[in-house]
Amino acid sequence: MSRLRKCLVWDLDNTLWDGICLEGNVSVRSGAVNTILELDKRGILHSIASRGDEETAMKVLRENALAGFFLVPKINWLPKSQNITVIARELDIGMDAFAFIDDDEFEREQVAFMLPGILTLESGRARELPFLSDFIPAEVTKEASVRRILYQTELERQRAEQSFASREDFLLSCRMKLKVRPAEEQDIPRLYELITRTHQLNTTGLIFSRDYITEILTQKTGSTKIMVAELEDKYGSYGIIGTAIAEEIPPEWLLKYLALSCRVMGRGIERAFLCAMMMNARKAGLLRTIAEYRNTGKNRMMRALYQMTGFKLDDSRGDGEMLRFAKSLDSISELPGWVKLV
Amino acid sequence: MEKSVNHIEEKLGTYIAENCLPKNNSILVGYDKNLFDAGIVDSAGLISFISYIETEFNISIPDVDLLPENFASIKTIADYIRKQQKVINEQA
Repeated sequence: MSRLRKCLVWDLDNTLWDGICLEGNVSVRSGAVNTILELDKRGILHSIASRGDEETAMKVLRENALAGFFLVPKINWLPKSQNITVIARELDIGMDAFAFIDDDEFEREQVAFMLPGILTLESGRARELPFLSDFIPAEVTKEASVRRILYQTELERQRAEQSFASREDFLLSCRMKLKVRPAEEQDIPRLYELITRTHQLNTTGLIFSRDYITEILTQKTGSTKIMVAELEDKYGSYGIIGTAIAEEIPPEWLLKYLALSCRVMGRGIERAFLCAMMMNARKAGLLRTIAEYRNTGKNRMMRALYQMTGFKLDDSRGDGEMLRFAKSLDSISELPGWVKLV
Repeated sequence: MEKSVNHIEEKLGTYIAENCLPKNNSILVGYDKNLFDAGIVDSAGLISFISYIETEFNISIPDVDLLPENFASIKTIADYIRKQQKVINEQA
């Protein structure tokens, strides 16, 4: 089964354009450009790993109004596998979500050998990529169509961070605002995207069907609720970055599911979202939180979240793979100082 | 002896400086500073930090040990590492 690719890395000479940039005039291939535009709309990112002179190549990209489509391009003489490794780290995307397109068989073989999981493609296939299942997301959401801009904003944020005297100063300077609200029907595509795309900041890894989500959202009377978290900071809006499914069973608040986008890692937002919902549960008169957790092999950080915020494993309430953590709502750990609830 | 005791704290401090702080960071992270409250480490950062600790100090950290008393500050982490190393030495 093919896996959805989140980033396509391009070679330039005789792949994105005909000819060799350092040897004179080149002409951009229209089929390749169409693919770039189409995949960009679907939320699939583009980058570059190409041999050559960066200044010369970027000039051609700018002249063809293509420069802005590529994140963290690497145009140099280093091995391409090494460049792609750096791209993966800078974008924080796993190698198994990468694809690489190049006309040179040696380069493709080298990359495929060094970077297991990556999909390598021959340059002649550029125009047909929008029709490959690897590049067809289940659904194109509002967030997907601006994903490149979100990443560009994030890269700007990271560059800004380096100039601060402490991490806390940087976080405070971002002026983060978190909004926690009940999910609405119009959020369903984004909810579904979060549920299927989020693996690390995900407490159970369970994939809920759209029917299940729709049912909860439309039957207003049930005790199960879906919440969403929206985040913005001075650099821009992240949109919906987290979701939770919880049930009120007085005097307990049962948190069955909590997932956050990996885009917000590193800012303590998972703790803020959790705290905000626990404060709401306390306001509603509930006394205890029970949080479910299932080890998926990738989500150890969510177990860390519960335990580091004072939840205790309740052995008596585990159910096979599903562990249950408990915490009294008397004492909720404080919201991080750099996050404001709105 | 004093030096080897602080050696662990120094290594942890170096990791934090290189991986969790801005490049221009000029404020030293005190060994007692709560890393979570200062935004230096969060759930994701802790997991990366832990895999560094496991490799660097040759210990394994079970999930049940991911607790504030063990991982709040450089000091508590260093104490935890020493405790784990002692267990390993005694077993050997």
